[in-house]
Amino acid sequence: MAVGTQERGALTHPDVHRLDDVNRDVLKVLATPGKGWWMLFGLAVAGVGLFLTAWGWQIYKGIGVSGLMSPVGWGVYITTFVFWVGIAHSGTLISAILFLFRAPWRQSIYRAAEAMTVFAVMTAGLFPLIHVGRLWHAYWLIPYPNSRFLWPNFKSPLVWDVFAVTTYFTVSAVFFYLGTVPDVAAARDRAVGLRKKFYTVISLGWQGTDQQWHHFGKAYVFLAALATPLVLSVHSVVSWDFAMSIVPGWHATIFAPYFVAGAIFSGVAMVITLTVPLRKIFGLEAYLTTKHYDAMAKLCLFTSMIVFYAYLSEFFLAWYSGEEIERSAFWNRLFGTYWWATWIMLVCNGFVPIMLWFKRVRHSIPALFVISIFVNIGMWFERYVIVVTSLHHEYMPFAWGIYRPSVTEMSILLGSFCWFGFWFLLFTRLIPPIAIQELKEVLPPPMRKKAKAHDGGEAHA
Amino acid sequence: MTDGIKRREFLKVLGVSGAGATMTGCGAGDVERLIPYVVAPEEITPGVATWYATTCGGCSAQCGMWVRTREGRAVKVEGNPDHPVSEGGLCSRGHATLQHLYNPDRFAGPMIREGTRLRQGTWDEAERLLAARIGTLGNVMFVGGHMGPTLSGLVDRFLSGVGGTRVAYDAVSDAPLREATRIAYGVDGLPTYDIGAAKLLLSFGNDFIDSGASPVAHNKGLAHMSAVDAEGHEKGRFVYLGARLSVTGLNADEWIPIRPGSEAAVALGMASAIAGPNATGPYANLLQAYNTESAAAAAGVSEESIRTLAERFVSEGPSLAMGPGVGAHHRNATAANLAVLILNDVAGNVGRTVTIGGGPTASASKFSDMTAAIGAMAAGRVGVAIVHGTNPAYSLPAASGFQAAFDEVPFKVSFASAMDETAAMADLILPDRHFLESWGDSMPKAGVMAIQQPVMQAVPHFDSKQAGDLLLAVSAHLGNDLGAATFYEYLRGAHQAQHTTAMGPFEETWRAALRTGAVSHAMAATTGASVLRAPDAALTFDVPAFDGDGDLTLMVYPSPRFGGGEFSNSPWMQELPDPVSKITWHSWLEMNPTTAEARGLREGDIVTVTSPHGAVDVPVWIYPGIREDAVALAMGGGHTDMGRWATGNGVNALDLLPATAEQPSGAFVTLATTVNVVSTGVRRRLATIDGSEGDQHDRPIAPAVALADLGHEEEEHADEGHGELMELQGFGGIKPVPAEGGAPSAFPLPGTDHGPYAVAHEGPRWAMAIDLDKCTGCSACVTACHAENNVPWVGEQQVIMGRDMNWVRIERYYEHIDATQAGDLDVRFLPMICQHCGNAPCEPVCPVFATYHTPEGVNAQVYNRCVGTRYCANNCPYKVRVFNWYRYTDENVPEPMNWQWNPDVTVRTNGVMEKCSFCMQRIRESENRAALEEGRDVRDGEIVPACQQSCPAEAIVFGNIRDPNSRVSEVVANERTYRVLDELINTQPAVNYLKKVTFHEVSGGHE
Repeated sequence: MAVGTQERGALTHPDVHRLDDVNRDVLKVLATPGKGWWMLFGLAVAGVGLFLTAWGWQIYKGIGVSGLMSPVGWGVYITTFVFWVGIAHSGTLISAILFLFRAPWRQSIYRAAEAMTVFAVMTAGLFPLIHVGRLWHAYWLIPYPNSRFLWPNFKSPLVWDVFAVTTYFTVSAVFFYLGTVPDVAAARDRAVGLRKKFYTVISLGWQGTDQQWHHFGKAYVFLAALATPLVLSVHSVVSWDFAMSIVPGWHATIFAPYFVAGAIFSGVAMVITLTVPLRKIFGLEAYLTTKHYDAMAKLCLFTSMIVFYAYLSEFFLAWYSGEEIERSAFWNRLFGTYWWATWIMLVCNGFVPIMLWFKRVRHSIPALFVISIFVNIGMWFERYVIVVTSLHHEYMPFAWGIYRPSVTEMSILLGSFCWFGFWFLLFTRLIPPIAIQELKEVLPPPMRKKAKAHDGGEAHA
Repeated sequence: MTDGIKRREFLKVLGVSGAGATMTGCGAGDVERLIPYVVAPEEITPGVATWYATTCGGCSAQCGMWVRTREGRAVKVEGNPDHPVSEGGLCSRGHATLQHLYNPDRFAGPMIREGTRLRQGTWDEAERLLAARIGTLGNVMFVGGHMGPTLSGLVDRFLSGVGGTRVAYDAVSDAPLREATRIAYGVDGLPTYDIGAAKLLLSFGNDFIDSGASPVAHNKGLAHMSAVDAEGHEKGRFVYLGARLSVTGLNADEWIPIRPGSEAAVALGMASAIAGPNATGPYANLLQAYNTESAAAAAGVSEESIRTLAERFVSEGPSLAMGPGVGAHHRNATAANLAVLILNDVAGNVGRTVTIGGGPTASASKFSDMTAAIGAMAAGRVGVAIVHGTNPAYSLPAASGFQAAFDEVPFKVSFASAMDETAAMADLILPDRHFLESWGDSMPKAGVMAIQQPVMQAVPHFDSKQAGDLLLAVSAHLGNDLGAATFYEYLRGAHQAQHTTAMGPFEETWRAALRTGAVSHAMAATTGASVLRAPDAALTFDVPAFDGDGDLTLMVYPSPRFGGGEFSNSPWMQELPDPVSKITWHSWLEMNPTTAEARGLREGDIVTVTSPHGAVDVPVWIYPGIREDAVALAMGGGHTDMGRWATGNGVNALDLLPATAEQPSGAFVTLATTVNVVSTGVRRRLATIDGSEGDQHDRPIAPAVALADLGHEEEEHADEGHGELMELQGFGGIKPVPAEGGAPSAFPLPGTDHGPYAVAHEGPRWAMAIDLDKCTGCSACVTACHAENNVPWVGEQQVIMGRDMNWVRIERYYEHIDATQAGDLDVRFLPMICQHCGNAPCEPVCPVFATYHTPEGVNAQVYNRCVGTRYCANNCPYKVRVFNWYRYTDENVPEPMNWQWNPDVTVRTNGVMEKCSFCMQRIRESENRAALEEGRDVRDGEIVPACQQSCPAEAIVFGNIRDPNSRVSEVVANERTYRVLDELINTQPAVNYLKKVTFHEVSGGHE
């Protein structure tokens, strides 16, 4: 697979000379975890406990334990839903679109990005369930044959959401899983005991034969092609949750591209946020180099500009429309009750990424890490601004109101990060977090004079 | 869907009432002969409502009531259209009486004090105890509130039998007006006003639709007077003279913000200007002493405003002036009322819009009598004190010394049916029945006799006994036979005794009274003298002195929700947004924005209000409708012992007042003191539903039209043109749908898409018209809707969060309101309900079709299908959808309050959206009855939603807009018709509003 990437993608790793160095370095991540991992994992488990407790309390008492009210019927939950769906985007972008476009720098990061995608969708998918008033009837949104011939309303963007999110989850999970098969096989060959059994099952009998590689390559290209439109469609559909309504501040044609750009922006930032510690903790500096970060920073910068352009065009069009209610909504966004949220959004997403114009910043891993955190915060607030400031200041002035998130909502927000972290930490322990087989493609081929080039009978090529 | 009324209980009630129907031919068990209004008792059918006519016992106005009972339970009260006083309307408090019936804080039975605690006893034990104490202690004093004439007569007979005295005491009373009428005309009784006949109405601080002698009738009169389109009627003008605008005042066309206490000076100045230098009559000398200049000086307004008002008072007649009501009872209140009567007299209004005599004849309540009674109690001259229908321990200021004096009485008896501050002190509590469980009568005005009949068996949770029955029983124990074993017999006997053969057979009259609620006797209304007499009492007409050296005058007024505090334990009333402030549950201090700014106070700042008589801590509410030199507090808050919803809510404004009786009427003085207001530094969120401080931000929500512009609307509208909108239409912009001024032929509007579950058919399209020129913002419809549709209350904290559940939200927008000078007043009320849009934004976004369009044009909400995504509420531009955030219907509603639930309406559970349904259950009931009984279609006007039924102003009309002859079609075909936001977002609502009409040119961007 990935034919012809060698010239363009050949990375020179000072510490990596041989193919089995890759196996050694990547697979050691799967070895007995250190204290750091256990601490993080403990925190994540505690957070998941908090998440489930808060959610359980909400189911028991009623959705009233949130701060939601009239007129703000959607708040932190939908904000967080959109946030996680957005995070989920860059994974597929990096693995599928960049794969199809043969961007060589993707090889080191795509596995982590794909894992992030799957776990982010798993997190996002919970939020519509958390947010409905009657969780026990949420399955009514799924079209299933029933004796009363009751179907969901296919006009409703929420039903589109169900399709979009479940489709995206299915495809990204399959894509992720398929890509891991050769690497899992490599891990299987080194593992013992229970782990070996586990890898044996999930590596689907991978032997690394020519035929297998041939099929794998074909399947990977097909799945990449299938996943590509989803990158654009899912977040477009999510944006239509808002754009299809008549709420001033939501009802805008720009929403689909604006949301897709925002999703990629936040997703890439999240990849940086996740891989910087991963690289540090597991000593993968040789594989995740400044070259990769430079490329991701550029993508961030580019999408940041699109997003900021979208902000400006929204404000401009609100003014240019001459429509008083629309104008009022955007004036309120900038200077109303929630002015601080809007300004956090503008600063984090519009101004902070300006620093990425400088090569020195792009090549400084700590600086990138800090900027990526800013972007993550800014993108959460972007959704908060869209959801809350639009709703609280709608058509009827008498019905305006102020929403204050409750402790339960913030616990679930925090818990969702832990839920995500829980899966991501498990992933780093169970699946090689960097794609071994693709990295090998960019290393110099083994020379015959080194007698041990084909040693060990390992399954990799 | 919820377990609020348990199925088993429901079946039990069903079975019991069904058995009752077959055995006794009467669904109400041991009550005597009930004559239902519509259906004979033998025909009580499970699932079909039975209606009874009775009289509302909520206040002294004694409006007529229809009570809807289902399977032996009263579930809804409504105005009786055949009643001569209320003519079909009913106020919020009238509806809330139903919550007194099912109040879980009612006593389970007679309570006897043992040491510090009360124990439940039997009625026999209680009766014997009372008889024994009366026998041993003697010196009985009976303190009673308003009651029907026959019960009142029985009390008198009882007292004469035991040698007791009687004190009439109500928390609020019209004693100054009554005294002024007596002084001026020698007639003991309130005058009656024909507000509807006036062309120019002046209120000198009289809040006649908030409180007073007959709020519903006066509300109806005001709406009729100010309506622009009444048949052969010219729109009347309403001028309010007072320091603070109540909901009555907010309906005025002009506001002359006179200084508190200057009513007499202004009225006399006007009268003097009208009468001129050659005034005659017993008050000629008085008039000479006043002129418009002195009036202007006293009132703090321009002389011109008073002079021109005086001129118009004659030229724009027939006019009518109403003197100060309870909220403006200062130390010269009788003089002020007399001055207003003189003003009416010189303008020739007496006999035209004012009739002397003929008002309610209930015994006059005087605070001065109460002061004497307190003296007697304190001096130990009272052996047994009996309190009935009033709560002086709460409604008298601490300074009166009532509590200490009452405590001195050796044996204290209360007839309170639920705990209140007075009952808490009593030695014996004899829980009276609710008026819906008992017999009685009323004489709301001369010549009208209304019978109050029980509509159901007494609520079985509470072993109560009617006061009349008890007095008869105790009398019998004491050896005095009052001639009847039960109060029912006594009542019937009393009426039979008054009956003359000229009225026809007694039995027929009696049955007619029961069936229709009221009969007018042939006796001529005593239209007393109409010539002024010389005064027999010395009166001062000057601005009275106020206590203390504070810089703000304190105005204490009866709450339109709680009255004087009697309704404070009703969660409906607690949660009803105050018609003026839109605040629920807690108390607030009204303060002018300029005053607040000068003191650095913001809305919600908790301040300490100190008068020479006491201090309270209360949050500030900024109100442009009050003068800069005054602050105001409503009565009804700060109960210390009155059940779960009242106790501890708000502050008692009376704590700030002196125990002063006005001379010569003896009325309690509410406008008596100045106060100092100091911030405590603490701030709180107000439990208000007003999200924009009364500003409609120039949006097309509650527009108005100037009277002069009526008839020229067409051209103006063309001018407006939507130039930009039309430009956009070429590129797919929205096309406002022409609705031809709301003509029925325009419906259904083109482009209407009702979705797959609404197949087009030829049936009706239900629609509503709300005339904003009539709506007074009184909020009766809000409570009526709560009662009809099982809308739960949510509590103060939830309202603060923004989770109030009102299906009807009366929006109140200030357009022009100036407390510094006389001028036009423009405040708009807009009852906002589900608009049942033809093009509803909520419908396409619901993922499960929980909200959809019915073929009849109603935007239906299927509670059982609702998942609770709340997308519909987000997308509703009118924000009329409310959500069940918790199990409000379950957790907030204790037994037996859930007995009130309307069995025809689903009780919603946690996580479900709800909203106005156009009272779908009433539509179906009418359709079914029409189809079953006569096999016909439903007639126009047969379907009356709860809000329309209750509206005293008759501002709401409901019907089929596809029928060009229906009333709603006729009303909607009006140049004033508009639909809220429709031209902007093309929602095509089925609710049509008729613009308010103003006398002044309408400023701002909206016609």
